Amino acid sequence: MVVVRAHRRFGAVEALRGLDFVAPYGEVTGLVGPNGAGKTTLLLAMATLLQLDTGSVRIAGHDPQTNARAVRAVMGWVPDVFGVYDNLTSWEYLRFAGECQGLGRERAVVRATELLAVARLAEYRDQPVHVLSRGQKQRLGFVRALLHSPRVLLLDEPAAGLDPHSRVELRSLLRRLAGEGAAVVVSSHVLSDLEQMADRVVFVDHGVVIGERRMTELGPSIGVQKWRVRALDAAMLTTALTNYGLAHDVTPTGVELEVASEEEVAQLVRRLVADGVPVVASTPVTSSLEAAYLGLTRGEG
Amino acid sequence: MLTVARLELTIRVRAGRWRWLLGGWFVVLLLFTFLLRAALPDTSSLYGHRGTVMYGALQLFMLGLALVVMPALTSQSVNGDRERGTLGVLQVTQLSAFDIAAGKLLAAWGTGCLFLASSAPLVVWCMAEGGVPAFRVFVVSLVMALLIGVVCAIALGLSSLLARSTTSSVLSYASMFALTVGLLVLFGLATETTRQTVTVHYGGSGTGTEQVTRTDHTWWILAPNPFVVLADAAPVAPLRQHCFSVGVGSGGTQTVCNSEDDGFDPLGSISRAVRSLRAPPDVGASALTSDRPRAALVWPYGLGFDLALGGFLLLVTTRRLRTPRLQLPRGVRIG
Repeated sequence: MVVVRAHRRFGAVEALRGLDFVAPYGEVTGLVGPNGAGKTTLLLAMATLLQLDTGSVRIAGHDPQTNARAVRAVMGWVPDVFGVYDNLTSWEYLRFAGECQGLGRERAVVRATELLAVARLAEYRDQPVHVLSRGQKQRLGFVRALLHSPRVLLLDEPAAGLDPHSRVELRSLLRRLAGEGAAVVVSSHVLSDLEQMADRVVFVDHGVVIGERRMTELGPSIGVQKWRVRALDAAMLTTALTNYGLAHDVTPTGVELEVASEEEVAQLVRRLVADGVPVVASTPVTSSLEAAYLGLTRGEG
Repeated sequence: MLTVARLELTIRVRAGRWRWLLGGWFVVLLLFTFLLRAALPDTSSLYGHRGTVMYGALQLFMLGLALVVMPALTSQSVNGDRERGTLGVLQVTQLSAFDIAAGKLLAAWGTGCLFLASSAPLVVWCMAEGGVPAFRVFVVSLVMALLIGVVCAIALGLSSLLARSTTSSVLSYASMFALTVGLLVLFGLATETTRQTVTVHYGGSGTGTEQVTRTDHTWWILAPNPFVVLADAAPVAPLRQHCFSVGVGSGGTQTVCNSEDDGFDPLGSISRAVRSLRAPPDVGASALTSDRPRAALVWPYGLGFDLALGGFLLLVTTRRLRTPRLQLPRGVRIG
């Protein structure tokens, strides 16, 4: 799936300004950016709902601008906000959606039953949708996009409103779909979710891509970073740090200080242990993805 | 298309409100028919059939009620779905824009026809009172069903054109008002502008001037009015026999019977009125001579216009549902 030089303007607002984007099959691609960066616009263009002013999009070889029907046959879309028909039962909702997707009545019945199980909603099969919780509705909407077994899956903020348990499940489901060869695009600003979900993260701001990272590359950190060190005896730790001449802040969860590299962290920990400080934890305050994201947006601003 | 219609109907049936609406609809019609029946004098002073009057009045009343109730069936169906976020999900399926538009119209129209069908017992009552041929019922019901379809299509079109569901609701009621009262007022005003003075030659050598309005130039303004369409499309009610005695030369009397239009038939009265508007002014003729030939039909033009309007708005809806979209209504996110 490829997007090239996408431009889209809403009145005075330029939502996309020549954005290039590729999401390969078999991978989960994360789409990260502040609110209003153009994530949703990009997803809508890929989901055949929005025409671009200029630029081209290819989804599984088809152009959503000219051949939306072909794209819709292989693409599943989960919008950030969506409604469900309150008066239908969960199973009916999926069955109707399947028929709309052109599955045929019998196939729709089979898929509705299968996906209800995937969404862990089998027990709510004959319950009207309005009795479902927010997270359950979210799961129902998510499996709706899977009815026609799409090869390309677009998710706009899928983790919003999900409980931790459902998040973990969503993560493993997306990983499984990617493993089966689908191209999955997930937009989010919940970075910690993407960190464990995505193979690659693309950073978007002001309608352009400002950087991208493979998750494997994100490991070693770049530049000055905040680390949190915790010891059984907090007083001993602060004394030691003061002796080393290191500036530090004391917070309820530990002592925070700025380090230039991970080597420096290792060195510090070795020294603390040698001096008899009972160190129990040493972790980055910001996740590596967050650090990369903040680094990029700071550079932009 | 049928999938969408089935989906919409299922949702409607589940919502349950329609039961109350249908119940209220029937009770109002029943009350109307009952009171009308009680108010009518007996057959001898009507010179005609009580059923003819009852049926005509019931149908006109029902049409009026339909114009109030039916816009509600579709006036929020596109923008309401957009507000609830269920439209976008439907648009990214294999359904075409026309499938969605026509499916929504079909579901609404079907519901409207169900309302129409619910009045069947009252129609049977009217038929039992006499003077209501089955053919008349057939034609009037058919035209009524078509008009209900047009009302649904107008409201559907407005709901696709306007971003907010409250605005489109108000506007669809306003358009019903325009089609009925609005056209009547427009016709009245337009007709006044055609007033002209003509010279009239009375028999012999007498001449004079007379003011006439050329309703034959403005009748078409009134034609799309649903009441006019319904009344004019109705086949003529059974003629009534009007008998009276006349003196014959030798002092005896003779009973003469005339067949004439039922003057108390509401549908027929409207029909005769609008058809006479279409005819050129009958300058100089006495008002008493009503032997003028029946003027040409009005309803084919009115119904034709109404159906074209409905079809046009269905097309508009389809266009507005087409994706990918280039323009978005102000302040609206697709979703």
